Amino acid sequence: MNGHIAVADLGYGDAGKGTVVDAICASGRIAAVIRFNGGAQAAHNVVAGGRHHTFAQFGAGTFHGVPTHLSRFVVVDPLALAAEAASLGNPFHLLTVDGEALLATPWHRAANRAAERRRGGARHGSCGMGIGQTMAYALSHADAPRVADVLSPARLRRRLAAVRDRLTAAYGELDGPPLEDVVTAFTAFGAAVSIVDGTCLDRLLGNGPCVFEGAQGVLLDEWRGWHPYTTWSTTTFANVAALCDSFERLGVVRTYTTRHGAGPFVTEAPLDLPEPHNGAGEWQGAFRVGHFDAVAHRYAVEVAGGVDALAVTHLDAPGRCPQLRVCTSYDVAGERWDRIEPGPFQDLEHQARLTEAMAGARPRDLHRPADWAGEIGDLLGAPVRLESWGPDRADKRTAFAVAAA
Amino acid sequence: MGSGRWSTDVYSAAASYRAATGTSAFAYSDSGARKAHPALDPLGVAARESRDSDEHPDSTPIAVLFDVTGSMGTVPRTLQTKLPQLLGLLTRKGYATDPHIMFGAVGDATCDRVPLQVGQFESDNRMDDDLARIVLEGGGGGQRTESYELAMYFMARHTSLDSVTKRGRRGYLFLIGDEMPYGQVKPKEVKRFIGDDLREPIAVEQMIAELQRTFDVYFIVPTAAGWGGDAQILAHWKRLLGQQVIELDDLDAVCETIALTVGLGEDAIDLDAGLADLVEVGSAAGASVGRALAPIGPGRGAVVRAAVDTGTAGSGNERL
Repeated sequence: MNGHIAVADLGYGDAGKGTVVDAICASGRIAAVIRFNGGAQAAHNVVAGGRHHTFAQFGAGTFHGVPTHLSRFVVVDPLALAAEAASLGNPFHLLTVDGEALLATPWHRAANRAAERRRGGARHGSCGMGIGQTMAYALSHADAPRVADVLSPARLRRRLAAVRDRLTAAYGELDGPPLEDVVTAFTAFGAAVSIVDGTCLDRLLGNGPCVFEGAQGVLLDEWRGWHPYTTWSTTTFANVAALCDSFERLGVVRTYTTRHGAGPFVTEAPLDLPEPHNGAGEWQGAFRVGHFDAVAHRYAVEVAGGVDALAVTHLDAPGRCPQLRVCTSYDVAGERWDRIEPGPFQDLEHQARLTEAMAGARPRDLHRPADWAGEIGDLLGAPVRLESWGPDRADKRTAFAVAAA
Repeated sequence: MGSGRWSTDVYSAAASYRAATGTSAFAYSDSGARKAHPALDPLGVAARESRDSDEHPDSTPIAVLFDVTGSMGTVPRTLQTKLPQLLGLLTRKGYATDPHIMFGAVGDATCDRVPLQVGQFESDNRMDDDLARIVLEGGGGGQRTESYELAMYFMARHTSLDSVTKRGRRGYLFLIGDEMPYGQVKPKEVKRFIGDDLREPIAVEQMIAELQRTFDVYFIVPTAAGWGGDAQILAHWKRLLGQQVIELDDLDAVCETIALTVGLGEDAIDLDAGLADLVEVGSAAGASVGRALAPIGPGRGAVVRAAVDTGTAGSGNERL
């Protein structure tokens, strides 16, 4: 019985991956939660019996004592991790980190913010944590700092100095702490966490069913999202497939569509749906809401290679919001679109053209279903295996634990 | 998407890491170890001892052996985080005098590299060390059996307990797992992993009878919500151990279950008092523990000797 489950958000993030991962981990059978993309900018809210935590680098199964593995695809931010760990009571015994994973440094973060400031009104909706900057830097520099470097202070110092000097040359003076202080903090991080090689992942996968916890959402994918309003991260199941041979694909959606920050949002509407755990951030901008966008979500399912099952969250929202609808087609320059055709893989020019079309699209067919979960399952072509009717763990209805046995 | 809410100050991060636990509690296993740590290897061990001392004159031996195969590998991690709570209940609440706790792990001798690991009985934080050295092997076969009988053999013949020899008082042995034992102790496996020359196999029923001379034996089996217990495995253990099979629906509650079982066994509490203690120490496990222990509350097998004077309860280790 090795029923690994990959959890991906089919929208723009914030659909409720954290609460879904927590619910799956409640079975007591999950060997580990494995993060397969993103980094400290993830914000997965879990509420359990009055306790609330926004999981960023620790997996959302932590309340159940399920170990977290940060795979080589994660961008690790030791400074943010220290604060998150402290708020959880320092459960470092639950954490293993792949030595190949990239390290986000204060200079990456500072350069990220400098770049967003330069864009002025044309911001991309970055979180300001330097994740994209770290990815971009690694693509062009083979000596980008990686987690295992914290075990060799001399090499770490050399690589951090290179980051500081190159990014300062590119962006001008950057607001960053002294190099030695960063070396000290990163070395302390290396002493606190278990840094492992790739064999650790195979061992975890052999230990029992694992949950792959995705960050952000498929509509923000670096290659499939509305370029350039995307994240520097593969948010589809592609990374999971690179880590693991066989797994079930679970897509998470809300009963309404949300988006943080800039970028096309066809079904955006002034709905009265306040958000307790997602405020407007300085870097990611306002939290936007709209009708359930079945067209965009069907595109997400298609580019993600299909899903085996769905988790639908916020099923209590339609009851509180009588205006809420499901959008099944767009009006794009007089044409009716009920499908967004995926372009060639990794064709950013195509994605940019798509972004233009999306920016001009308006909702055409809107309706209000009686059975939201059933309707969303029909529209996305997959059975709904987990329903969430509120923020707390007690608000979940799942057919998941049983079926996964 | 995204949270920038965490304080990311470089100095507070460094201080925070220094203040934190240091290395992983399972650093030995997480570093990729594939054989038993020398401190936990049963091969050639004459006996693991629980001895009275001036500091701990009334020792209560408590052994906890868990299945570390498959998904059960998370149990020791949970135990580790809750160890202070377990010791606090045992000592501060006076459930048991001078507890000596031993940790060990059970795997499958037919296919695992580390089928048996047994630490020492410890009364201080060295028990953390033993827990940290356990290899969480994973693996295990799909045949629904683990070598519990091999562990029972070791516990019966390679432990020496002052509580038994001096006071006629049995220790506690908790086996935690979700599979069945093999039908007999096999001489070849005993030779290979423990080192004894055994002429004939020992039937598991006979092994349990021998083990129960020195230990009150409990089997804790997870029946996590939605998964149900495996009826055949449950029935098998109930045939072997009767009502000392504890069905637990939340594995996070293992520590509390052990503490209250000992408290009940020592006649220090009744179930209601124990559950009230859990509330007092801030544990949320009460409901699960209550369901798990309801069947063994009243009328369970009495401990061999009358309760000891609990005036020495303060001499235990207090880590809460």
